[in-house]
Amino acid sequence: MATKVHRDTGSTDLSLPDDQLKEILYLLKLARYFDERMEALYRQGRLPGAIYSGRGQEGTHVGVTFALDEGDSLFPTHRDLTAQLTKGLDLKRVMAQFWGRIDGYTRGRDGNSHIGDWQGNKTFTVMSHLPIAYPVAIGAAWAYQRRDDGHVAMAICGDGSTSNGRWHEALNWSAIFRLPVVWVVNNNQFAYSTPNTREFAVPTIAERADAYGMPGVRVDGADVLEVHRAAKEAVDRAREGGGPTLIESVSLRWRGHAGHDPAKYVPKEMLDNYVADKDPVKNFQQLLLDRKVVDDGDIEELNGRIEREFDEGYEYALASPFPEPGDAFKGNWVEDGYWTSEPGRDGGTEAG
Amino acid sequence: MATAKVETGAAGHGAEPRGKRSDDGQATYLVAIAEALWEEMERDERVYMLGEDIGAYGGAFKVTEGFIEHFGDQRVIDTPIAEETIVGMAVGSAMEGFRPVAEFQYADFMSSGFDEITTVLSRYHYRSGVPLPVVLRGPSGGGVRGSSFHSINPEPWFAHAGGIKVVCPAFPSDAKGLLKSAIRDDNPVMYLEHKWIYRRIKEQVSEDPDFLVPIGKAAVRREGSDVSIITYGAMVHKALEAATSLEAKGISVEIVDLRTVYPMDEETVLSSVAKTSRALVLSESYRVLGIGAEVAAVIAEKAFEHLDAPVERLSPPNLPVPFSPTLEDAFLPGVDDIEAAVERLSTW
Amino acid sequence: MTSVQMPQLGETIVEGTILKWLKQEGEAIARDEPLFEISTDKVDTEVPSPVAGTVAKILVAEGETVPVGTELAQITDEGASEEASSSSDDAAGPEAPASSEAAAAQGSGPDTPAAEPASPAAAAAEVAPAAPAAGASDSGDAASTTSGGGLPDRGPRSKILSPVVRKLAEEHGVDLGAVTGTGTGGRITRKDVEAAVASGVTATPAATASPAAPTREPAPSAVAGAGEEIVAMSHIRKAIATHMVASNQTSARAWTLVEANVEHLVRLRERVKDAFADHHGVKLTYLPFFVRACVDALQAYPMVNAKLQGDDIVLHRYVNMGIAVSYDQGLIVPVIKGADGMNSVGVARAIADLATRARARELRPDEVQGATFTITNPGPYGSLASVPIINQPNTGILSIDGIQKRPVVVDDDAIAVRHMVYVSMSWDHRVVDGEIATRFLARVKQNLETWDFAEDLGL
Repeated sequence: MATKVHRDTGSTDLSLPDDQLKEILYLLKLARYFDERMEALYRQGRLPGAIYSGRGQEGTHVGVTFALDEGDSLFPTHRDLTAQLTKGLDLKRVMAQFWGRIDGYTRGRDGNSHIGDWQGNKTFTVMSHLPIAYPVAIGAAWAYQRRDDGHVAMAICGDGSTSNGRWHEALNWSAIFRLPVVWVVNNNQFAYSTPNTREFAVPTIAERADAYGMPGVRVDGADVLEVHRAAKEAVDRAREGGGPTLIESVSLRWRGHAGHDPAKYVPKEMLDNYVADKDPVKNFQQLLLDRKVVDDGDIEELNGRIEREFDEGYEYALASPFPEPGDAFKGNWVEDGYWTSEPGRDGGTEAG
Repeated sequence: MATAKVETGAAGHGAEPRGKRSDDGQATYLVAIAEALWEEMERDERVYMLGEDIGAYGGAFKVTEGFIEHFGDQRVIDTPIAEETIVGMAVGSAMEGFRPVAEFQYADFMSSGFDEITTVLSRYHYRSGVPLPVVLRGPSGGGVRGSSFHSINPEPWFAHAGGIKVVCPAFPSDAKGLLKSAIRDDNPVMYLEHKWIYRRIKEQVSEDPDFLVPIGKAAVRREGSDVSIITYGAMVHKALEAATSLEAKGISVEIVDLRTVYPMDEETVLSSVAKTSRALVLSESYRVLGIGAEVAAVIAEKAFEHLDAPVERLSPPNLPVPFSPTLEDAFLPGVDDIEAAVERLSTW
Repeated sequence: MTSVQMPQLGETIVEGTILKWLKQEGEAIARDEPLFEISTDKVDTEVPSPVAGTVAKILVAEGETVPVGTELAQITDEGASEEASSSSDDAAGPEAPASSEAAAAQGSGPDTPAAEPASPAAAAAEVAPAAPAAGASDSGDAASTTSGGGLPDRGPRSKILSPVVRKLAEEHGVDLGAVTGTGTGGRITRKDVEAAVASGVTATPAATASPAAPTREPAPSAVAGAGEEIVAMSHIRKAIATHMVASNQTSARAWTLVEANVEHLVRLRERVKDAFADHHGVKLTYLPFFVRACVDALQAYPMVNAKLQGDDIVLHRYVNMGIAVSYDQGLIVPVIKGADGMNSVGVARAIADLATRARARELRPDEVQGATFTITNPGPYGSLASVPIINQPNTGILSIDGIQKRPVVVDDDAIAVRHMVYVSMSWDHRVVDGEIATRFLARVKQNLETWDFAEDLGL
């Protein structure tokens, strides 16, 4: 199980039908636009709470998630909102969550990208302790194996998470039992302010796969198709009973850990290079233009659609009421029925 | 349902739990637990068990002996030593429709999975509406010279999380009925079986496969009029012993066995205190911020006008459980301590 | 001689089965040489001998299951010294570490010094340890109940009125100043209040009873002089004393007397009392007749069935008849609730039940409360006429004294001997005047003399 490090030179075999390529482009551009607009709102003080930008890593997020089927499950972190949008979460309800409204996916119980939609799109609601979702992915994967239903679990974490005991427990366990799971590490090279060299002593994360008894692959997160190919291979392997795979997708975190963080620890030159050459959104758009899968008119239309969707989402969020204060005490035990009924909508739309 | 006459072997090795009852049909606490597991596994295909050494070895205390042979290794899973992932696996599989019963070899090792228990298991439903019908079970408690890593009473830590029901039976019948209820409950339940009781207490236990004891309901184990002892787990038996000597001294003790530690059955507790006006809260969990602290607070808050004496707590200190017999006996509330406390309260 | 016991191989193990003896009686054995095989719930294993010597006796046969700690065999030691108390429960030699746990297996071993937690426990309710934190480190202690240093001293324990004491006192109108405390330091406990209630210590209406008598009588404080004996007043005596004084100080008491001819009642009772007892299971006294006569009069003169409340007179539309009962502790007044709805049989039953339970001290608080009028009957003890003290907050109390044969003037101015009785009433002049009081009594008399009670007896 040698570690494969893909090096693409640009002569990419597209190998996906046009409609899927366009879908990927839409998702990449939506993610980028969303990130930029939300950052602006945040800086203007119009977005409550925090934001955790995934800018620069869209190639990873869209690439891996696009390889999943509807019945597969996703276990993301706060950084992976793009992946959740790719999986199918409704932008309107995502935005309602950011503004703490009752129509958000967690009914106001959580905010921003600490989001999930298990009942609809099979994504696990994000928790901050990382990678606390990895052991949970084990359970889902085991269930698929036990039922032999062909489903796959995919979990995403960051480079920093690979220092944590749970990461090792989960990979180890998945290999022992040959579970249908794909372990994705979004290596954006910084865990808050901590660089890779302080998170692990080996050169790559992917090469650790060997130690656990599974294949590992390292891909360029700036190339969404490369990422997707690796993810597809891993997902197929899992689905066919071949067990887990570790995918390390390398990019750079363009923004701070969270909105408040200016990320001065990222060397300026490194950031500049990545923005110039390794922008997964710009690169893919250019690729599709070059291959004539889309033209300028399509791009303009796409831009318009995305801007419209964002504005509609924003409007939806602000029009959605806050949860009623009494809701704070409901929904703990199944028997109180809070989650199996429509919630109250008298919380008003003005914040306290 | 007739008692299956199952061959037992010299000491019950490899036998179905019901075959381990004594000749008069009584079941020990341990056997009652095993019976509950067996019956629920038979009743519902979605129920499965996971834990360290529970399969081939039959469990560190032999609770799960005979299970893997009968139910197979898909439903009785020997796990690696990875408590966080044991809990994570339980959660993930529950999200996918299964009903896991995760065994911790000793309740002491639950803290190795602390994050998954308190951050994921306890909170997920509140944030998402996804039910997690997970049972975490393990032997807790001291008095067996197990020292500090094999004697813990972890109930305060996990009751404090808020989203997990915590159950601590003291009698075999309750042990069986409560475990069955726990497995059928759609919420996370932590089921703490007290190891001191395992083979020491036995009684007649129902063989009805639908025999259930409700979670959240206490039981009055002994009626009395002078002092109420509110307690649970192994301490119930110490209290009963003390009550007998106290009776001879003319002090009539009422004993309330909480059975479920969280959420507590306040009604039964408060009725008893209203009856006697004097309360001793006896808990094997630590004194400061232990279960006893909560019970005492509820009594003081809600039964204030019925009190004729201050509410007292009797618990071990917040220190590691020691090994040497003199140390452990000093550490744990003993029958003498209970008697002294009750006498003090009755003459206040 | 070394005793070999069933070891505890596992924390929760309580018994074991001998599978096989590897040595027989009379055989020699070396130290640590396997002596027998056992089986427990958790494990089957060989057990080595703790000493070198000869197997003297085997006490438990193969196949038998015995509790941990049971003596299985005895080994005669090789060499001089006997091992001192090697079979005892305290920590055995390293060869048999399990045996020290044997005793412990039974629970908290009887030999283990369990007494030491007694010291913090014995601190009892006395002064707390210096710092609150100290409580946390006391092993198994039951918490000193007073606070750590720094809180103001609330004074002697005797002054403390617990919440339940205050609540009960208020509910039953008990004057706590009159109650003696039997708790530590002389504190008034719940039981003390309940006893006071049972004895009738209420500033206002009738006594409330409780099943428990006071647990301890106070000791006399006076010192007997020559020719004197001192008896301290019981709780109930004190309660009665307070009540009586208060009553006389509250009501403007007046008294009126009438005489009634009850010849026919006496004859009636003679005739029917046996049949009545057989049929109804209770004794027939004269009281039911008097109660019935009185109830009617109360309904005719409602002001007598009233109580004064501030500046208002509260008229009751029902009659709860208090019946004074004498018993060993003193006086208690159980109440027949709704006497206006009963016939003589009902009244007879109620009186019998209440009186019996009053003497057995089994009355409930609600059964000694709420009287609207009271009857006392000292007649059986021999009085001619009495001046009773009003049972507050009633307006009147009727006394029925002795029924005696007297010479009286009957029709046509003849002298005859008839059974007569003096019936009198102490009444509160604040509420009624002489005319009403007298008319009331006249009505009672008339009822007694003219009613046909036979029908009312259901015979």
